[in-house]
Parts: sequence; C-alpha cells; structure tokens
Amino acid sequence: MSPAARRRWRSNLAGYAFAGPALVVLAAFLLYPIAYSVSLSLHEWDGYTPHWGPFVGFENYRALAGDEVFWRATWNSILFVVVRTPLEVGFGFLLALLLNRRLALRPLLRTLFFVPVVMSLIVVTIIFQRVFEPNTGLLNTFLRAVGLGDWAHPWLGDPATALPAVIAVSVWKNVGFSLVILLAGLQGLPQDVVEAARVDGANAWQLTLRVITPLMRPILALTALLSIIGGLKVFDLVFIMTRGGPTYSTEVLATMLYREAFELNHMGIASAVAVILVALVLSIARLQTFVLDESPEGGQA
Amino acid sequence: MSTAVARASVARRQRAAGRATRIGRVAMWAVLLAALGVSLAPGLYMISLSFMDNPQLFAGRLVPWPPHAENYPRAWVASNIGQLYWNSIYVSTASMVATVAISALAGYGLGRIRFAGRGLVYGIVLVGLTIPLQIALIPLFMNLRVLGLLNTRLALIGPYTAFGLAFGTYIMKGFFQGLPRELEEAARLDGAGELGIFARVMLPLTRPALATVAIFVFLQNWNEFLFALTFITEGKMRTLPTGIYALLSSEFYGNYPILAASLVLFSVPVLVLYFVFQREFVEGLTAGALKH
Repeated sequence: MSPAARRRWRSNLAGYAFAGPALVVLAAFLLYPIAYSVSLSLHEWDGYTPHWGPFVGFENYRALAGDEVFWRATWNSILFVVVRTPLEVGFGFLLALLLNRRLALRPLLRTLFFVPVVMSLIVVTIIFQRVFEPNTGLLNTFLRAVGLGDWAHPWLGDPATALPAVIAVSVWKNVGFSLVILLAGLQGLPQDVVEAARVDGANAWQLTLRVITPLMRPILALTALLSIIGGLKVFDLVFIMTRGGPTYSTEVLATMLYREAFELNHMGIASAVAVILVALVLSIARLQTFVLDESPEGGQA
Repeated sequence: MSTAVARASVARRQRAAGRATRIGRVAMWAVLLAALGVSLAPGLYMISLSFMDNPQLFAGRLVPWPPHAENYPRAWVASNIGQLYWNSIYVSTASMVATVAISALAGYGLGRIRFAGRGLVYGIVLVGLTIPLQIALIPLFMNLRVLGLLNTRLALIGPYTAFGLAFGTYIMKGFFQGLPRELEEAARLDGAGELGIFARVMLPLTRPALATVAIFVFLQNWNEFLFALTFITEGKMRTLPTGIYALLSSEFYGNYPILAASLVLFSVPVLVLYFVFQREFVEGLTAGALKH
C-alpha cells in the first residue's frame, strides 16, 4: 500500500470510528423505522397477529384518498400552518424590531418572552383548556367583565372555533421562538449599512421597511420554514386539547396517524399517513434550500 | 434676524421630532407590555389556580384569596409525583448523557476528519433534523413489544437518545469545525493520536457547545409526550407529562386546582433550568437556525 493510500485508509477508519456510534443509533431509530413504515404502508395489519397481513400494494393509499377524514386532516394541517406561520413570524418580527435597540430591560424581556417556548405542551394545553372553558374560564369571564358577554362562546366545543382556538395557542407558544431567532438575525446585520441609511436621513419607519426588512429576508424565510415544518408535525397540542374533535374539526395528520394505529388498529393505513406526512415535510424542507438560494443574500446557503 | 428665524425653526423641528420619538417610545412600551402580559398571563393564571379551592374557581376568581396551599400535598399524592419525577429525571438524564457523548464523537468525526461517505452520513443527520419523528412510532412500538421492552425505562431512553442526536451532532460539528487547525497540528507533532487529540485537546474547548446540547436535549426529553404515551401504559413507569395527562382521566378530572398544582410542580425544574442556562439554550437555538 502506498503511503497516501494508507493515510486515506487510516482517516476513513478514524472517521467511521468517531461517527460510527451515531450512525448505528440513527440507523436503528430513524432509517430502519422509515423503511419499516414504507413497507408496512403496503400491507394490511391489525397489529395483533404475530406477522403482518397480506401485501395490498397501494390499497391503503387509495383508501385514504377516498376517506373524508384524511382530507379533513390534511386540510387542517395545511390550514394550521398557513394561519399560524404568518402570525408567529409577524409578531416575532415586530417584537424583535422593538427589542433591537439599547433597552435597559432587553435581556429580561427576551427571557420572559421565551418562557412559553420552554413550557411543556401538556402544561400549556391544560391551562388553555381552562382559559377557553365556557362558563368560568378566563376568556369568557374577561369578555363578560368588559361588557362583551355576547362574544362568550364554547371555544373548544364548537367545530367552527376549535381550530382557530388551537392555532391561537400554538402562536402564543411559539412567538418567542421566532422572536429569539429574528433578534439574533437583527443583531448580526451589517451595522455600517444601517448606519449609512440613518446618516442619509432615513427615519425609523423607512429604515425598517426599506433597509432592515430586505436584509432580513433570508432569516425571515428560514424562520417561516422552521415554523411550517414544526406546524406540520404538531401532535401534543391538538391531541391533549381536543383529541382532534369536535367531529374531526381539529384532526391533523399526526393525530389521525395515532388514532388509526392505536385506537382503530389499522397499522397499514396509519403507516401510509406517516409516510405522507414525512413526504410533505421533506418536500417543504427541500424548499428551504430553494428559497435561500433564490434570495440575493442567501447565495452561500 | 434671519438666523434667529432659522434657529427657531430648527428648534421647532427638533421639538416636533422629540415629540414624535416620545410618542414612538410610549407606543413601543405599550406594545411590549401588552405582549408581555399576553405571554405571561396563562402561566400566572396556572399559579393562581393552584392556590384556589373549587368554590373560588367556579366563582371565576382571578386571585386566590385566601390561598389554599394544601393543593400541593394533595397533588403530590394524587399523581404519585415523586415516582414521576424520578422516572423523568432518570430517563431524561440517561438519554441526555448518551446523546451528548455520541454527538460529541460524531461531531468531531464529521467536523475534522475527511473520510469517504462523510457527506452521506451528514445527510442522514440533516434528515434526522427535519423528519417528523412520528414515522418511528409504530415501528418502534412493534419492536419494543416483541423484545418485551414496553413499559420499561429503556423503551424511552433509546428513542430519546436518537431523537436528540441529529441536533447534537449538528451543533457539535459546527463547533468543532470552527476550532483552529494549529491546535491539532501542535498536538500531532507532539505525537498525539486521533483519540488523544479529540479527548485532550479539542473536547475541553467545546464546553459551551456541550452545555447547549445537554440543556436542549434534556428539556426536549423532559417534555416529550407522544412516545411516552405510547410506550408506557402502566402507571409505575410513566414520566411526568403522561403521568399528569393520566390525571385528566382520573377522579381528578376537572379538578383544576389539583391539576394546576401538579402542573406547577412539573414546570418548576424546567423553568429553573431555563433561567439558569438560558444563554446556552438560546445560543443553541439561534446557532441551529442561523448557521445553515
């Protein structure tokens, strides 16, 4: 073996020695489950017999295509993301802009705004169930107190308002996340450009709209994509708060997967839902590189 | 004369500008304080609920006066919270330690060693960062059942280790990559092997990144719900989130003071960890997002 070949062999060996444990764990808990799910989605199985049922080809997918609940869940997942992401990124950006200046209390404010993000979803959902409770809940009590008693409403019990209520909670929980990322982005902007615009007489408003926002576009896009991907994965929030109800009005893909698998024992169908969810998320994650490449500043991404 | 007019007009403009900034500052504080109120109110409401009794709750009170601290010992007993704490601490810590160790190794391998297939391995890590983990729910459940591992702590430690690994490796790789080459070369000239360079030269320098990964995956494990719900069906092995969830379908259903007291007990360690380690935590998040 030539010295160069030996060196290459040695560094390959070292590389796999270091990355090996991670590779094994990821293969066992990620790659193997993906293969398992794709394969199971082509079979019929109730989960109880020791072996999978018969191979049925794309029958599970065809069954889903004809299932009203599946379309409802898909539509709700999309709606969830389409409503949640602009609110989350919008409020996050507004607060980040307000905090992006020399404020004595800035570290404290940032810390407090981030508290909902670290709170467990089980905590958040139980509190908000209480907030939305029709008779003595915080929201209706407040509405009656300020003379808007007519607006008092069984928020989670009415199919028309259940999904908006769940989305509102999700926005509430995640604004701090967008805020922190966007604030870090603002602080990383080239200060000379911002300063030059200020010297040229731009007021705060023009500075924000014409200079800062365009510079922030790649980071805004990234924050939005993180929010979209997170939104498509949502499970705990919906499951604990409404279990997908009333009458499937808050059912999303992840709660449908759980219900099909562990309440209805349709393992094949549930796996098909899982595969569709993964395909959806990965295709949107692909968009991430696309969006970043498109923007003039994101060329290096 | 004309200079006096000019000076007056400048002064007027400055005063107008001053008034505008003052209005701007008031508006800014109004928005910030309103947002702060909205983001803190539910947590404060939870604390307030945890000190009420049911009559106060049904009267729609906001302030628990007189306070009922006895909810706390009752919640502690009702949810067997001591056991839940122990299970959560055990599972979250064991998987955190495993994740940190494995991702430090992998981060070094991917960040500092050129080897065939490195791009592919890193690609798998990136997929792990975005993929919905729900895909692993049924396969892992079925295999754990066959292995007789459902309702054991191991059933959660394995998956949690893996679920933190993509993030951990990603952060560690970025950090290792940023360390200067000279350190490594100096150590190599001194005759250190790859493992020696990693353990004695590089690893001590990555303490901030290790802290970030540790705190981040610990909180993720601590809060995890779906896998804990599915893999642990017996009360004794439950972790805090599913243990408290089980309260919802027990005799304490709708007993919000007891529920709220349990939630406070559950949240305290998380919030303490967050306030102590917030720098590491926030840096981890922003690094994860902005380094792309």
